[in-house]
Amino acid sequence: MALDDAARAALARAVGVENVVDDPVGRRAYECDGLTGYRVVPDLVVLPRDAAAVAAAVRACAEHRVPFVARGAGTGLSGGALPVADGVVISLSRLKRVLDVDPVDRRAVVEPGVTNLEITAAAAAHGLYYAPDPSSQQVCTIGGNVAENSGGAHCLKYGFTSNHVLAMEVVLPDGSVVTLGGDSAEQAGPDLRGVFLGSEGTLGIATSITVRLLRVPETVRTLLADFPSVAAAGDVVSDIVAAGIVPAAVEMMDTLAIEAAEEAVHAGYTVGVPAALVVELDGPAEECDVQFEQVKAICDRHGCTRLHIAGSGEERAAIWRGRKAAFAAVGRISPDYFVQDGVVPRTRLTEVLARIADMGEQAGLRVANVFHAGDGNLHPLVLYNAAAGETERAERLSGSIAELCVELGGALSGEHGIGTDKACSMPRMFGEEDLATMGRVRAAFDPDGICNPGKVLPTPRLCGERPGKYRPHPLEESGLIDRL
Amino acid sequence: MTRATPTTVRPTDLAALRAAVLDSAGPLAVAGAGTAAAWAGDLQHVDTVVDVSGLSGIVVHNPGDMTVAVKAGTPLRDLAAELAGHGQQVSFDAARVARGATVGGLVATADAGPGALVHGTLRDLVIGMTIVLADGTVARTGGHVIKNVSGYDLAKLVHGSYGTLAIVAEVVLRLHPVPAASATVVLDCPLDEAVAHAARVLARPLEPAALEWCSAGSGPATSDGRLLARIEGTAAALPARVERLVDTLGPGAAEADAGEWEAHASTVRGRPGQAVLRIGARPSRIGGIVGALPGADGPGAGVTVGLGTGVATVALPADADAVESAHLAVHAAGGTSVLRDRPAGFGGPAWGPPPSAIAMLRNVKRAFDPDGRLGPGRFAPWPLENSR
Repeated sequence: MALDDAARAALARAVGVENVVDDPVGRRAYECDGLTGYRVVPDLVVLPRDAAAVAAAVRACAEHRVPFVARGAGTGLSGGALPVADGVVISLSRLKRVLDVDPVDRRAVVEPGVTNLEITAAAAAHGLYYAPDPSSQQVCTIGGNVAENSGGAHCLKYGFTSNHVLAMEVVLPDGSVVTLGGDSAEQAGPDLRGVFLGSEGTLGIATSITVRLLRVPETVRTLLADFPSVAAAGDVVSDIVAAGIVPAAVEMMDTLAIEAAEEAVHAGYTVGVPAALVVELDGPAEECDVQFEQVKAICDRHGCTRLHIAGSGEERAAIWRGRKAAFAAVGRISPDYFVQDGVVPRTRLTEVLARIADMGEQAGLRVANVFHAGDGNLHPLVLYNAAAGETERAERLSGSIAELCVELGGALSGEHGIGTDKACSMPRMFGEEDLATMGRVRAAFDPDGICNPGKVLPTPRLCGERPGKYRPHPLEESGLIDRL
Repeated sequence: MTRATPTTVRPTDLAALRAAVLDSAGPLAVAGAGTAAAWAGDLQHVDTVVDVSGLSGIVVHNPGDMTVAVKAGTPLRDLAAELAGHGQQVSFDAARVARGATVGGLVATADAGPGALVHGTLRDLVIGMTIVLADGTVARTGGHVIKNVSGYDLAKLVHGSYGTLAIVAEVVLRLHPVPAASATVVLDCPLDEAVAHAARVLARPLEPAALEWCSAGSGPATSDGRLLARIEGTAAALPARVERLVDTLGPGAAEADAGEWEAHASTVRGRPGQAVLRIGARPSRIGGIVGALPGADGPGAGVTVGLGTGVATVALPADADAVESAHLAVHAAGGTSVLRDRPAGFGGPAWGPPPSAIAMLRNVKRAFDPDGRLGPGRFAPWPLENSR
């Protein structure tokens, strides 16, 4: 059922008619997010100018039972901001004010359309920064980060978005406005803020977000190390962990990812080596110096073939440019690619990479690997050529890799979210009662099912009558957990 | 009217826990080590008490992954002893851990200690959970990996729910290495001076692992006490860092032994006969809030203040009016508060005004526990269960 005139009029009143996009060309710009394989042109797009207009728009949707999808910068990689047919997109792109930076209590209050990096820019004058750093931080918005509970390379030491958001003003799916969280990390009652963070826009829309700011570390030491095998690089990570060191970041790239990144940004990586590690330590100077020597010794012990230590801020930035450019850079060596996001227990990294290589070979497709080695979060990039009819095969391979992660005791997604992409895979990881309980949370927030429907949880409409067969979790098979 | 004494059941596995829930019908309470049995609202009459202390022990510890799954009734103290053998720890130091508090109970009460300055509360350390709902539903959330955004994080709802939404059966935690070295620096000073010192410490790259003020227990509680700072790191680097910290704090600051933290924990726990309030507020306001509480400056009151976290514990004389006005004063300053231990029969309110999301909280309560079986009374006087 298309949006009726009454609903259109109510939405126009809510946000002002000049902030409504209803022409087909304008609406088409919102048809997908970073997961471009899924496209739905929304019936209407509204661009509210402030929090009150967001609440008014949601109230209009609730009154007219119109499904709505909140959207930030549209950089999400799981189709979390995919519009709903006959629904409305509420774009938060015009709510982009930094409302407050408080250097004493080390926090900032920002609107959802502010980019991740703009928060750090606003805090920098006080020697403070916002810690979670997704690779897309130059463009992705904090509202989207809240929805996805975004991570980043440095979340191994510093945690995810959920650990850095103190409070949010939220428009609930019925249009009411509440505050979740508050002035301190300790709040009275169940942690509704925590359940909202990472709920992928299905429980409401955050219109102002209070984030913690951290003091910029005194010292940052970064190295780039080449290894003769992925296994050797994996052993380095294990030894770093065993030494009781918590690095700020440990990133690994395999030969294909290095080749792509180097071709794109010439960051000084060694083309042709099987694996490269980026290890970064930060903190008080004395600690960093001691632990950095330990890390260097561990690298040497595992046959490091080249150790490049960033000697300046520019050199450090170059190393990170190579790492952060890796996704997009793959476009240089392949006409098309899928970005996957799965997690395995860190100790199973070598095993999962070997399995991925086998699966790629069987499928006749190349897979480049970039990952957060410290926490077992993989980003396999499945390379394919759509023009050669490889799309379906690549999609299947990419999906099997995520499911393999679950099989190895991990998770379907570490930071990109379930969204549209993996909703039907959720039964691989969770049983019926688990999903039904999540469904109760959703229904408590959104009884009419109008807030970003079709995302996160599998539905018969989305996945067929029997949404994917449940496979016992490996921990269940090994008798470590029971499924009653 | 006299009511029957509740039946206590003590399941020893998940199946028995679920059966205990299914085999009973009326209101039900969860009991662990009993270290927070009197916290929050007074428990109303229940027919059944589910004692989870039989659900104890490590399910699986993966040292290389730095994760551990434990049954909810496991005392954290016991878990810590096991993990220490691997040089690992749960980075969590709530005062009642020393009394044998269970992992499930610590999560349900959203407790935390001074280490929350760096590591956050258990909400930040729990990566997976198994819960049992009032209708016997067994639900899992999260998993065994640190990084995971698959599905809703039900563990967050349980954190701070005081047994009113679900019974915790199993908890998966992320671990950290036990610091190779740690040191404590103290400085005797009144609370308001400590606030100023803390601002300087936090503005420099000293990275304390904990930063608190604790009353001395003798004189007026907000003027007679000391600042405590903990530094953790490598043995090689620590002395230089301690020196910088001492320099930053200035004359009078000196290294002390770790026993200072036991005195702090003891103050947090309060003494029999006191009403213990837990308060969270903006760090810059917490000193002023605590200083203005009626009774806080009296002798015998006990005060600890997280100078970087804004979390304070204040043990006041048990006066219902004083506690009520304390809740209101905290609320007016933008903070939140909950009553912990107090004498039996104490009439003061356990909570301040309800949060703005109370209607949503009520929706969640109805969705999880439509018959209002679990933990009746824990959130009184909030309207959590009425107006159906």
